Parts: sequence; structure tokens; C-alpha cells
Amino acid sequence: MTRNPFTGAEAVAVGVEVDHVFKEFDGGQDVLRNVSLRVEPGEIFVIMGPSGSGKSVLLRQIAGLDTPTSGRVLVDGLDPALEETRAKVRLALVFQAGALFNSLSVYDNLALYPREHRLGNEAAIRAKVTHALKILSVEDAAEKFPSELSGGMKKRVAIARALVMEPQLLLYDEPTSELDPVMSATITEIIATLKNEYSVTSVVVTHDRELALTIGNRIAILMDGEILLIATPDELRASKDPRITDFLNPVIDIQHPRFKKLETQATT
Amino acid sequence: MNTTQQTARVGLFFLLGVALIWVTFETLSDGKFFEEHQHKLVARFNDLRQLKVGDEVRLAGVRVGSVQATRLAGRQAEAVLQIDPTVAIANDSTATIEMAGLISGNYISIDMGSIGAPALADGAEIRTVETPDLNTLMADIGGLGKQLQSSLGSFSAALNGDPSKGGGILQKLDKLVTENSERVNATMTNLQQITDKINRGDGTLGKLVNDPKLHDEMLATVDEIKAAASQAKEFVANAEGVMDQIKSGKGTLGTLVYDQKAADDIRASLANIRSVSDKLAKGEGTLGKLINDPGLYDSAQVTIKKVDRTLDGLNDSGPITAVGIVANALF
Amino acid sequence: MKQLNAIFEGVGSVVQLFLRSASYAGSLPRQWSRFIEQCYLIGYTTLPIVAILSFFIGTVLALEAGYAMEGFGAKEFIGSLVGLSMARELGPMMTAVLLAGRVGSAITAELASMTVYQEIDALKTMNIQAAKILVLPRLAAVLVMMPVLIVIANIVGWFGGSVVARYVSYVGISPEAYFAALRHFTKFKDVINGVEKAEVFGFVVVLVCCDIGLNTRGGPREIGAAVTRAVVVSLILILVLDYFVTKILL
Ligand SMILES: Nc1ncnc2c1ncn2[C@@H]1O[C@H](COP(=O)(O)OP(=O)(O)OP(=O)(O)O)[C@@H](O)[C@H]1O
Ligand SMILES: [Mg+2]
Repeated sequence: MTRNPFTGAEAVAVGVEVDHVFKEFDGGQDVLRNVSLRVEPGEIFVIMGPSGSGKSVLLRQIAGLDTPTSGRVLVDGLDPALEETRAKVRLALVFQAGALFNSLSVYDNLALYPREHRLGNEAAIRAKVTHALKILSVEDAAEKFPSELSGGMKKRVAIARALVMEPQLLLYDEPTSELDPVMSATITEIIATLKNEYSVTSVVVTHDRELALTIGNRIAILMDGEILLIATPDELRASKDPRITDFLNPVIDIQHPRFKKLETQATT
Repeated sequence: MNTTQQTARVGLFFLLGVALIWVTFETLSDGKFFEEHQHKLVARFNDLRQLKVGDEVRLAGVRVGSVQATRLAGRQAEAVLQIDPTVAIANDSTATIEMAGLISGNYISIDMGSIGAPALADGAEIRTVETPDLNTLMADIGGLGKQLQSSLGSFSAALNGDPSKGGGILQKLDKLVTENSERVNATMTNLQQITDKINRGDGTLGKLVNDPKLHDEMLATVDEIKAAASQAKEFVANAEGVMDQIKSGKGTLGTLVYDQKAADDIRASLANIRSVSDKLAKGEGTLGKLINDPGLYDSAQVTIKKVDRTLDGLNDSGPITAVGIVANALF
Repeated sequence: MKQLNAIFEGVGSVVQLFLRSASYAGSLPRQWSRFIEQCYLIGYTTLPIVAILSFFIGTVLALEAGYAMEGFGAKEFIGSLVGLSMARELGPMMTAVLLAGRVGSAITAELASMTVYQEIDALKTMNIQAAKILVLPRLAAVLVMMPVLIVIANIVGWFGGSVVARYVSYVGISPEAYFAALRHFTKFKDVINGVEKAEVFGFVVVLVCCDIGLNTRGGPREIGAAVTRAVVVSLILILVLDYFVTKILL
């Protein structure tokens, strides 16, 4: 039991359970195949995997934005797709593309949640919002609209918006993908701080090896919709599985046959 | 745009709308909402004809309400009228169904009734008078026209008469006045002389009018005159009786106006006219045949048409071929 | 069969959306600024086009009526014809058509892009209902703004008719005669009738456009398709509803 970063109220850490989940889109192949995992309360759970392996789809199932074709997802023992669950469990998702409200200014994007749920008066909300913007050093953009922001700024505003929600469960979809190394380090710090001091449960989807190995309590490797392995960072570093070593430490080999293939394609 | 400006514009827009709704309301229904506080009267007719709900009710031509409902009442039909409560309808007013125009439907017309008559209460029944429907009226007028036409035909024939028999009434009247003009003139001269004499005080009547001495005697005889007055009254009554007879067409007006001979003449000529028109009516003589024999009429008509067409042909297209024109005329 | 199913699904979805947003009606006072913004978009910005269109509808009505009525000397009734058809039928209907084209399409485009760019998903994770903050203010705004638009449309249309009646040579009716005939046959009840109709049209158009926008699936290309569908469905619904609403209100 810890305190919430903004209200100081007590927040209970929640866990996630993904149980034999299959997900198939209309007429397509299975995007997720028999995915099972448990995220313990207060844990930082990292999901890695190649592009198109189904990470974002998995995150949407956990956030309750989509329902699995079969299997089930539980957040704090409840179905996340139900409105009641969202009323009980504070869950935030940092979308891969930001998903900012384009018709609202950055400030209003952040203020929407506390305003709608009446979390304090306008002054308290202002304090909260400016604090969150300051943490991610986007306070200058407060009056701007999303269309006037760079990709990295959008990402930071999206994270700030999630922070303002004071979530118990924070889902990040590639939080550092568009950020410079300094900003990436800041994000890493934020995630770690939230876990250590406020016991926020985090599920982080990332390609960022440094981020994953630094802050992840456990790391899952998702390939082609299947969980290849769930391991601690140390176990992962020690792994001898060629698929994992290839993924974590790709060798850039210009002489590799696949580049040859590209060249021949380009010349023909 | 900032929010207060937006709010102001929406507010302005909304107020404009409310104002316009009010203006529309005021102009279209004269400020009466749902016409609730209205008097009701019931008008019963044998036939409401094209009267329908919403038609106007007019008092002496002024709109005072509308027809609220129409319904059957036994063997009759009732119209429920909504009347402006500020307007009092006299209890001897009568309601009729009138045409507003050929295409604009009907309305109920109520007349003022008599002065001082008490007003009809809410829900009372108003007296009605059935007026002929325009359609039946039209049919009647059509029939009337035909009758008028035929009677006018015989009348004009009678008036103008047959020249060989000394002409019709008009000619005879003319002749009568011309022949007697001397005598009429002489009478007029006499009359003038008499009045001159009276003026000058000549003769008994003249003295009576002009000599002041006679006045006293006149006064003395007033009693006698008074006594005579009752007799005069009787005489007047008789005269009135005669006048009535004249007016009602009894007796011959001619005998009072003209001398016996002229009256006889008129009577004779009227007899002639009658016999002529009788003959015409019976179909005797050429003219009679022409009027009464449909076959003759039709063939005359056809001939006229043909002649007409022949003439038209000659006029319009010029002579193409004589045969062509004749052929055309035949069909 | 598939199409029929799609229709049922659409109707079900619209009804559900209506009930859901109606259930948040109590939150309207707190959404005052959103409501005002929608009033501004639906009412204020739509006014010019509504006024222009109504003016010309009025003129065309008067022209046609003048042409037809000249034949039997009933030109004096132009005012009543324009007055009644504007108030009872063309005012509400054409305003609803404009609403579908101008406001409905914008609503669908906005909500569809919010759906496609995951803004609606973001709202969901925030436990904020789209029906409450996106649909309800629009429905309320259209209900408030529609009578205003209709009354303006009526008056402008009537005025347009009077201009034609006055200045077109073969019509040549004085404005006094025109408005006398108009007033004689057009009752306030007819205007109310038209407003009721317009409320139904406007409400349904906005509701359907919201629903189609929120149910957009796929990428940005679907936004355009959704807008097209929303406008077509709205127009069909206006015409179909027109029959039934007219029947009910007569
Ligand atoms: N709504 C959808 N309909 C159909 N297919 C989908 C849908 N969303 C995702 N997919 C498919 O599911 C697969 C996984 O997609 P997903 O977005 O989860 O990949 P990802 O692992 O997040 O990749 P990246 O790292 O590039 O973001 C892809 O092949 C994609 O084509
Ligand atoms: Mg992804």
C-alpha cells in the first residue's frame, strides 16, 4: 500500500492475469495465440518482440478496448472490458501514436480526466496538470494543439496525460520510441519512480533493450503472437536461445544474404 | 474564438429566434394561444355542404371565429362554432352558409340581429337559414334563363307584331299619342286658362283663393267642412279601394287613362297579339313552323353552317379549287 | 438478408446510443460550454446557408405558384401557398437536409476521425463515455437550435416569396395582398407543426451521424466512407420520417 503521486491518497496495486488468450481479426490469422501471463501487483512487466508480433493487440486486450476471441483477461480479478471495472480500477494506456484529443489543447487534454471525474477544483487541477507537464518538460506546449506538436512531444504529452490520471495500472506502448536518449532516460526514471514509490503496476511494451533490461522486473518475448519466454533481465542476458540473442543483439552484417537479395531486387 | 464570444453569439442567436417565434405567433394568430377561452355556438343545418373545420365565422362580414367541429345530429348536420367571447351574438341572429369564392370554400355568415336582443349564451343554438347551394343556384339560373329567353322571344314578337295588321303595341301606342296630340294640347291650354283665372281671382274658385273677405266665411264653414270630412274619409277609403284594384291589376287601367276608343283599340290589338303568339306557339304559319318544328330548325342551322364554312373557306385560304371548297363545306 | 441484418444492427446501435446519452441528461448543466459550442456550430454557423436556401425556396415557390395560378385567376393565393408549404413542409425539410449536409457530415467526420485515431479508445480507458460528452451536447444543441433555424427559414422564405410576387411581371401581387393571404391561411399551429417536424429530423440526423461516426472501423480512408454513409442515411431518413411525422401531426 502506497500513496498516489498527486492526491496522496492510498492506492492499492493491482495485478493482471492473461489466460490462454487467442485473438483473431475478421478473416485473418491468429494475431495472438495462446498467450498466458501474470503481472504481479506493483511489478514492471516488459513485453518485447519484433514489429507486428502482436504487442499492441495484447495491450488493448489488457486495457479492455478489445475482447479476446477466446481465453480471458482479468485486471484485479475483473473483466477490463466492463465499465464497472474501469470505474473501480484506474487504468491508463499510453497509446503508441499518442491518441491525444485533437480538438483540445494540450492543457485540456490533461485536464479532461480530472474535470470529468470531478477530482478537485480548477485550481487543484491546474496544479496537477502543470506538474505533470513539467515532469515531462512540455509545460511550454500547454496552450498548443496536438497538431502543432512534434512526434516526441506528443508521446510525452500522452505520458503526462496518463500520469494525471493517477493510475493503478499503467500500460505503455513504446513510450521511448520517438524520444532522444536524454528523454528516454527521463521516461525510464518516471516508470521506476512510479513503481518504487507509488507501487504502480506497469506493463511496458518496448523495443528499447536498455529500458527493458534496466527497469523490467520480468520480460516477456512475444514472437508471432506467441510467448516465447518470460524471464528476468539476468536470465535473458544469459539466454543462449538464438532467436533471443538475435533479437536482443542483432548483428548488422552487410554481407548477409538478405541484403544481397535487396540489391538484386533493386537492380532488376 | 474565445468562449465568451461564442456564448454571446449563441445567446444572441437564441434570443433572435425567440423574438422571431413571438413575432410569427403575434402575426399569425393575433396573439391568441390555442384559442381556448372561446364561446361555442351550435348551428344546425340540413346540409353543411362544403363547410369544413377551420372555416371562418363572420358577423356582418367581420371574422369573429371559426368552425371548430362538424357532426351529424339526427337527420341534420351541426357545425360547432368558436366565437370570440368579446363579441355578442344576438339571439335572433341567423347563421347561413355562404360561398367565399369559387375556389376558396365556404364560411358561416351571421347577421347582427335586432338591437337590444339578448346575446346568445355559450353553447346555445343559433337560428339558421338554409341558403341554396351555389351549384343548385347555378342550375336554377340556367333554367330561368331558358324560360326568360323563350318568353322574351314571344314578347318581342308581340311588341313588334305583324305590320300588315297595323303593327304591335309600340306602334299602336305611338299612333294613339300622335293622333290625339291636338286634343291633348287643347286640354293643356284649357287647364292653363283655368289656373290663370284662379290666380287672377276670377270665378268662384278664383275668389275663394284670392278674396280675403271670404276667409271669415271660410272659417264659418269649417264646421260644415269638418262634418263633411267624415264623408270625405269614406270617399278616400273608396278611392283607396279603387286604387288597390288598379294596382292589383283588376279593372282596366286603360279605361281610367285613355278614352273608351283607345282602350278598345288596345284591347283589340292585345287580342291580336295573343292570337299571333298563340299561333306561333301552336306552330301555325311559316314563322310558327320555323320556331316550333325542330327538323326545320336543324336543317336551317346546317345550311347556315355550311354557308358559313364556305364563306370562311373563301376568306381564309382563298380559292384553291371550287371543288375543294365545296367538298370542304360539305363535311 | 445481410443488408436487412445490417439495418437492424444500425437501428439497434442508434437506439442504444440514444438511450445511453439520454441517461446522462443530468450531466448537461456541467457540460454547458460543450453545449454552447455545439449550439454555435449547429445554429449560428448554419444560419447563413439556411437563410440563403430558404430565400430561394420561397422565390421558387412563388414563381411556380404564380405560374400555375395565373391560369385561373387565383394569384392572390400565392401568399397562402408559400406560407403554408414553407411552414409545414419545405422549411423543416430543407433545413434538415442542410443540417445533414453541413452539420451531420462534420459530426461524422469528427467522431470517425476520433475513432480511427484512437481518441475514443483513450476516452474509454479514462472511463469517460463518448455518449455523454460527445453525443449528448450535440443532441441538446440541435433540439434548442432547430426551432430558431426553422423560424428564420420560414420568415426568410416568406419574404423571398413576397419579393417574387411583387417584382416578377406575370405575378405582380402587392406585398400587402401577399401577406394578407399568407396570414389568412397560415396559422401559428402550422409553424409549430413544422417546428415539431424539424425537431424530429434534426434529432435523428444528429443521432445517426454520431452513431455512424462512432462505429467507424479501419483507417483514415474509412472516415470519408463514413461521412458519405452518414449523409445518405440521413437524407433517406428525413424523407421516410417526413411521411410518418406528417401523418402523425396531421
Ligand atoms: N484491427 C486490426 N485488424 C486486423 N489486423 C490487425 C488489427 N490490429 C492489428 N492487426 C494485425 O495484428 C498484427 C499485430 O499487430 P500489432 O499492432 O499488435 O503489432 P506490434 O507488435 O504492436 O508491432 P509494432 O512493434 O510495429 O507496433 C499485425 O500483423 C497487424 O496487421
Ligand atoms: Mg505496436
